[in-house]
This record gives sequence, structure tokens and C-alpha cells, in this order.
Amino acid sequence: MHNRISVAILALVILACVGQVPASAAGGEVVGMRRLTEQEYRNSIADIFGKDIAVQGVFEPGKRIGGLIEASGAILSITPVGFDSYSKMADSVAVQATSEKARARLISCKPASAGQPDDACAAQTFSHYGLMLFRRPLTGDELQSRVKLAASMTKASGDFYTGLRYGLASLLQSSNFLFRVELAVPGGAKEYTLDSYSRAARLSYLFWNTTPDAELLKAAQANELGTPAGLATQVDRLMASPRLDTGMRAFFSDMLQLDTFDNVSKDSLLYPKWSVQLAAAAREETLRTTIDLALHDNADIRELMTTSKTYINRNLAAIYGVPFNFDEDWVPLAFPPDQGRSGIVTQISMLSMFSHPGRSSPTERGVALMDIFLCEPTPTPPNNVDFSIVNNTDGPLKTVRERLMAHATNPVCASCHTHSDPIGLSLEGFDTIGRHRSTENGQVIDVSATLQGKSFVGAQGLGRFLHDNPKYPACVARKLYSYAKGVDSQDVELQDVKAAYKAFGDSGYRMRNLLKAMTESEDFFRAAPPAVAAKSTKLASQ
Amino acid sequence: MKLDRRFLLRGTCQGAAAVMALPFLDCFLDGKGQALAATGKRIPTRFNTFFYGLGLTKSLWVPKTAGLNYETTIQLKPLEPFKKKMNVFSGLRVMVDDNPNFQHWSGVGASATGISPSKTGLFDSKTIDQTVADVVSRGSRFKSVAAACAGDPKQSYSSLGGANNLPAEASPLSLYTRLFGPGFQDPSRTDWKPDPQIMLQQSVLSVVAEDRNRVTQHLGPSDKARLDQYFTSVREAEQQIAAELKRPDIEAKVDIPTAPDEMVVNSALPNMRKVLPLMARLGALAMATDQTRVFNLSISEPGSQMFVPGDPLGYHQSTHEEPLDPILAYQPRVARYNVYSMELFAAFLKELDAVPEGDGTLLDHSLVYGFTDVAFAKIHALDGIPVLIAGGASGRMKTGHHIVGDGSPVSRVGLTLQKAMGLSVDSWGGGSMETKSPYTELLA
Repeated sequence: MHNRISVAILALVILACVGQVPASAAGGEVVGMRRLTEQEYRNSIADIFGKDIAVQGVFEPGKRIGGLIEASGAILSITPVGFDSYSKMADSVAVQATSEKARARLISCKPASAGQPDDACAAQTFSHYGLMLFRRPLTGDELQSRVKLAASMTKASGDFYTGLRYGLASLLQSSNFLFRVELAVPGGAKEYTLDSYSRAARLSYLFWNTTPDAELLKAAQANELGTPAGLATQVDRLMASPRLDTGMRAFFSDMLQLDTFDNVSKDSLLYPKWSVQLAAAAREETLRTTIDLALHDNADIRELMTTSKTYINRNLAAIYGVPFNFDEDWVPLAFPPDQGRSGIVTQISMLSMFSHPGRSSPTERGVALMDIFLCEPTPTPPNNVDFSIVNNTDGPLKTVRERLMAHATNPVCASCHTHSDPIGLSLEGFDTIGRHRSTENGQVIDVSATLQGKSFVGAQGLGRFLHDNPKYPACVARKLYSYAKGVDSQDVELQDVKAAYKAFGDSGYRMRNLLKAMTESEDFFRAAPPAVAAKSTKLASQ
Repeated sequence: MKLDRRFLLRGTCQGAAAVMALPFLDCFLDGKGQALAATGKRIPTRFNTFFYGLGLTKSLWVPKTAGLNYETTIQLKPLEPFKKKMNVFSGLRVMVDDNPNFQHWSGVGASATGISPSKTGLFDSKTIDQTVADVVSRGSRFKSVAAACAGDPKQSYSSLGGANNLPAEASPLSLYTRLFGPGFQDPSRTDWKPDPQIMLQQSVLSVVAEDRNRVTQHLGPSDKARLDQYFTSVREAEQQIAAELKRPDIEAKVDIPTAPDEMVVNSALPNMRKVLPLMARLGALAMATDQTRVFNLSISEPGSQMFVPGDPLGYHQSTHEEPLDPILAYQPRVARYNVYSMELFAAFLKELDAVPEGDGTLLDHSLVYGFTDVAFAKIHALDGIPVLIAGGASGRMKTGHHIVGDGSPVSRVGLTLQKAMGLSVDSWGGGSMETKSPYTELLA
């Protein structure tokens, strides 16, 4: 008898908390599942529970697909090793969030008795954090199972907050938090379009690299993101925030492949100046320059290839060969004019990431830059190529250029090497850690190059070549679109981003214009019809 | 010496004084000489893989004669202490069939799955260690554990199929924490009690697992597979907790060391020489205490980036750029790197062989599958890809042989290993490498 009453009360409580779930919240078809990246996870936890909540654990690595790690989130799952780590992190976050210190701030209700279950307070807590973590309201079942769990844990431990801890931990290790589950509803003939909450998440992770805030969730609940005006209001708000820096840092960090630094080692005998700190500083330098130019100055993105402006700290000053007499950690610098540097392609990051531990590699640099900035990957060489003739430094061919040019005599090699090497050769004025040099093995380095019918000299010539190449801003647009939607950039045609690309060009290639036009286009939320659409039933039927 | 009840019941073989000096487990053999743990349970047979990139140099590693008592070659020299506990296979083939020879990948895929990979970087099926783990790991805490000696968690050749490889622990500290950090139940403790905290975690996982019913029928096939993988991982976590709630079966008399320090873990050879023995030792202790029965250790990516400080080329570049010495007819610098790989392999085997267990050592109760990506790295050739295996599989694998493969597919070794691990499997591999012929002469 008593049991039946408490079940009835629980049902009422849950009904009150779940409220009217809008049809779009849980009524759609799953059209995508994107595993959170480490940074997305960390930012989400910090925004939901506060920055003082420590997140310690190992995240499963991603893979770079079409030049972007973000795209792999749409095909990777969670292995036992990864889940073990997520599960421990979930519990640790839940322990911190329900600790005596954090309670007053994070738990908005108080239990009737601290040693007894209180289903109403538990349900209120879980529906609030469930909405934040799942980026949509919990379904009745999802909430009920957590309330029941908390009640039994409270009984077992004699502590209401211990019950909350385990309920929260179960939300934090759910597939609905660890993956951004994208739901879509029919949106016109044979087409699907993302539902309101999935739109909110896509916008939020793109602009701020974190979970939607309360205001965005409210707009989703009111279905405002489905109207052009409502969408524009939120896009403008997200773009006006300084947090846009965070979102775009994540994008450029992925596009410029700055995570490569995690596995770069340099030969400490040949390059004693190289250190983990230097690598971290080089990564930061590139991000500062890029964000400053693209967002703060709202400049033409093509100038990233030619600008002489950068930021340095003490470590970097040593490599650039300039004095560092400042109190600040970071100061602006104009590249020394005699080094022939040009934009981010000549920053320490780009030069050192794509080189061998002991020497520079025009081929690696060329292959990487073609892929990163022009969206043109280079095919792998044939299996049976004999490189030894062209690479013997004791032989007659002294410089890397001479050795590489020997490839041109072999038509099999030439087809690819003429594609990627010129970029790398024009950067030979910089060694494997990005220091300027003018000779190699006693020979003066020739930094001239011819690429796609255009001849240029040195890094400044390369910068100008990339600046003037229409494939470069087109590649930025394709990569941004792929990053936001979680698809392989090699499958994206410029046609798919036509309207946004036109707005980008019309504005003189301002990143903000690209972002705004892309996210306000209905295409941005379009989804392929779900693969099982014919057979499946609606998700909401519970 | 404090003797527990089970010891007194079974402690009839040597007298307590001798036991004190001997590793505890040595006392317990059944009538047929089979190793038993203190609890009377048979010691499980463990499975290990050792991956090294870029192969070996044919003229320097292949023994001149076949069968037993072959003469050790220059490149097998570091492994000489284990010669009687190993088998080496020369002349094996990788058939790529209709797929391209993906550089530095086809050999990895073929060795690990018996199937020529159809995409670079992906395995076309579950890898052999996971097939073995499905059968042998029931009841151990972790189904398998992987470690990467060069510090990159992606250097794992252990996969459930599809895009997901099981990430490797990338430093001795992280490997230690996974194995012997929170949740570790020390088998040598006499006051063992189940941890109530762990029981509560079990209820959390069942709530997480319940969410499954709501979503899976609404997904396209690839997302469904991904979600299935997630829920399989949840189930493994539940099994892990179940193992942590049991009194450990094996009373291994090994000392669990304190946590190692943070250290530089990368592809520089001097660092690898420091890291590898630590990782190998932790893996050996994990198997001795039944934390896992499957341990995968790698020293590099397939095109190994190992380098000796001061060498501007490094290993992989050397294989492509160093000319063949006109007199020696091989690449001298590459040959040195080959030997460094074998030294690291020997350091792994040494740690396994250093743990006494039952009537022998942990290595005697293990199999170790040593494989690589290419036969001749300079041209990415696959024919003659070296395969080295070690360990007696608790008496089921005969050792000390050089098997001349005369063009057999590499998958024959994989099938033989599975047979020796006690799997009931009749064929393994795919396409031209599908085989039904294990090396029966090696199976005891």
C-alpha cells in the first residue's frame, strides 16, 4: 500500500519536472552521434558545474579525417578502456558537485531530511542537470530511473547527497552525454532537418566549443531556432560574446593540426633549444595570431599568409633570434625583416611540426600545407620507390633541393613531388625547429619554386601565392562546414557551402561573415534521411 | 612466516623452511606436474603481443638451418637467452589479394587479423588478441591491457574491428594507475573484504545500461554498431567490477612496486630503453596477479619513428634513404635499428621470464606474438615478413624451432597461436590467407 502511494507520488513529481516535452525534443530520428572531444567535454563540465570542478582522466584519442579530428567524432565509439576512464571521471565530477562545499551553489533544493530519500528534490536536480548534460530534457524513463537509483543509494548510505552523487554519475557516463546525439525531423520533401535542441547544440559547440547555455536551451524549447529571426538572434548573441574566441581556437587548432605537437620530438643533441615548453609556446603563438587577425581585427583571412605580425614569449624569442626584455609573458612582434618570414606558414609551429626530428623536410611540409590550406591531400608514393640515390648526403647532391629535384627525372615520382615539394622548398630557409638559415651543408639554399604554373621565391613568395590562391579561402569554408557538421571535408563540395562562401567573398573574406552566413542558412541543419527511416518508429513512444 | 589455512591444507611438498626461500607458488604442482595456484586452480595461460615497426634485415636475421638447434643469427642475438623458449618463422607471406599494399599497414593488418586490410589504418576484423581474450579473459579484471612504449596511445594494434582501436597506456605511470591504482585488489592481503563503494558503482552501471532499450532501434547501421560498442564497454565495466568484488584467486607472491615517476616517453631510443622494462614489468605483474590475461605492448608506429639522438634521419627515414652498402648488400644503419628492436623485445621477454610461477615462469605460461609491418622496409615488401613467438603456453606449444615457411600465409601462425591458447577454432584469416592448417608439429 505504502509502496503504491510512493510510486504515484514519484510519477507526479516526474511529470512536473519533465513538463511538456516539445515534440522535437525526443520525437526525432537519430541522424548523428558525435563523441565529445576532450576540450568539448572539459568546457561542458566547467560550464555546467563550475570551473573549480577538476576533470582528471584520459580521453580516447581521435583520428584526423579530411584534415579534421572533429570529423572522427562522428565515426568513433567508446572502447572499454575509454569507458573505464569516463566512468571514473563521472564519479569524480559527481562527488565534487555534491560535496558539502559545492552543494549550496549547485543543488537548488534541500531534502526534507538529509538522511532520507527525497524524490522531489532528486527529480528537480536530475531534470536540471539532465537538460544541461543531454542538451535536451530527460525523458520520463530516464528521469525515473535516476530518481529510483538515488533513493536506493540514499537508503543504503543514509545520506541524501550520496544518492544524488550516484544519480549524477549515471547521467555523466551516459551515451547521451558522451555523444552529442543529433535528432532530426522531416523538413520538407524527402528531407530531414535537425530538431530544435540539436540545433542549439550544433551552434553552441561551433561558436563556444561547449554545451548550450540556459538561454540557448530556452530558445530551443520555445522552438525559436526554427525561425530565421529567432535563429539570427541567437547567432548574433553567440558571435558577440568573447567566448567566440574559445570556439574558433578549437576550430583553428584542429584545422592547423596543432595537436600534432603532442607527438613531435626533436633530437636533443642536434637541437638542444627544443623543449616541451617551446612546443606549447609555438602552438599558442599561432592561435593568438590567428584569432587576433580573424576575430579581433576582423581582417581578411587571407592575410594570415602574409602578415608580419605575431606574438612571442621568451622561449620563442630565442628561436626568432630577437631580444626579449619585457615583463609580460607575451608581447606582439613584427618578424625581423631579414628573415623572409610571411604569416603563420613561417611560424615555428608550422615549420617544426612537419619536419623530422633531426632535419627539415620539404616533402612533409609541402604535403601538410597543401592539405591544410588548399584541401589537397597528396597520394602516397609507390611501394617500391628507391629513395636512396636521391637522399645520400655523402654523394654529389648536397642540398635537400638537389636531392629532391632528382625525383623529377622519374615520372612516377614527379607527378606527386611537383604537387607538394615546391611549397616545402620555398620554406627551406628555416630549419626543423623554425630557425632562419641561409646555407645547408655549405651550400647557399635556393628557395625558389614553381607551383601550378606560378613561380615564386622563398616563404614570402609562398605566402603571396597562398594569399592569392582562391582555393585557400574555399578550403577554410569547406573545413569550417565539415567541422561544424562532423563530416569528411573531402566529401564536401564548394557547392554545399555556396551561399556562405559567397557572403565570405563579398565581405573580403571576414571569418565572422562566413560564420554568420553559414549558420543562418537552412542548409546548415539539413540532414540525410535516417538510414532506417522506412522501418523505424518515433523515439518518443515511451 | 604466517601460513594461511589453504597453505596448511596443501602445504605438503617441501616443508615450510624451504618454502620460505622459494617463491610460494612453486610448491604446488598436481600429480602430472601441471602448475597450480595456491587455491588449487590451474594457472591461466596468458597471451601477449609485441609490435615493432619496420621489420628486420633478411640476410642478418634468418637462421641458416631449419628445425631445432639452429645457429643464432646476428639480429636474433639479443633473443639468444630465450632461444629455447621461442619459435621463429621465416619465409611467410602476406597476400593482399585485391587490396593495395598499404604502406606499413597491410602487414600489420594481415598479422593481427589474418585478413588483408581494405583501408589503411583500419583492421577489417577483431584483432587476434581480442579473439583470444573473448575466450581466456573471463573472470580476470581487465579483458586486455595495452601499453605503448613510445608514448602515443594510438600505437595500439588491438581492435574490436571498425575504426576503434583500444587505446594504449602511454606512460609507465598511467599503466601503473590502470593496473594497480584504485580498484586493485591485492591478492596477497589476508584481510580482504569487498569494497562497498564498488558495489554501489554496480547499480550506477545498470542504470546506464538500461538506457539502451530506448535508443538502439532508431539508428542507422553504423551508428547502431557504435552504440553497441558503447554498451559492450559498459558491460565490460560491470564485469570488471564483478572481478573487483571477488577475493582474488591467485595468491601471487610478487611485490607490487610503488607508482613510477612521470618521465619523458617518446621515440628517442634512450628513453625507450628506460620505459620498456618498466612497462614490461608492470604487465608481467598484472598477469601474475590476474588483473589481465592479455597484454599488448608496442614500441612504435608501423613506420617506426624511433631515433638515436644525433641521427638526423631516424629509423623510418633511414629505411628509405640509406643506400644499400655495396659490399655488405644491406643498409648498415637500418640493421642497427633492427637490432635495437630485438633488444627491446628481449627486455620484454626477460620481465615475463623473471616471474616464477608454478613449475616454471610466467613466460612458460604465456604466448607472446611478436609481429611487424614489413619484411623489407625500403620497398615496403611483405614477403618473408618476420614472425617471432615466445612462451610455452603452459606446455601446449613446443619451442626452440626455426620454421621455414616456404610461402605459407602469415595467418598460419595466428591459427597455431589460437590452438595453443585452447580456442576451438578450425580456420582463421580471410581471402588467400584463410587457413585451416596450423603448425601441428608445434602443438603439444
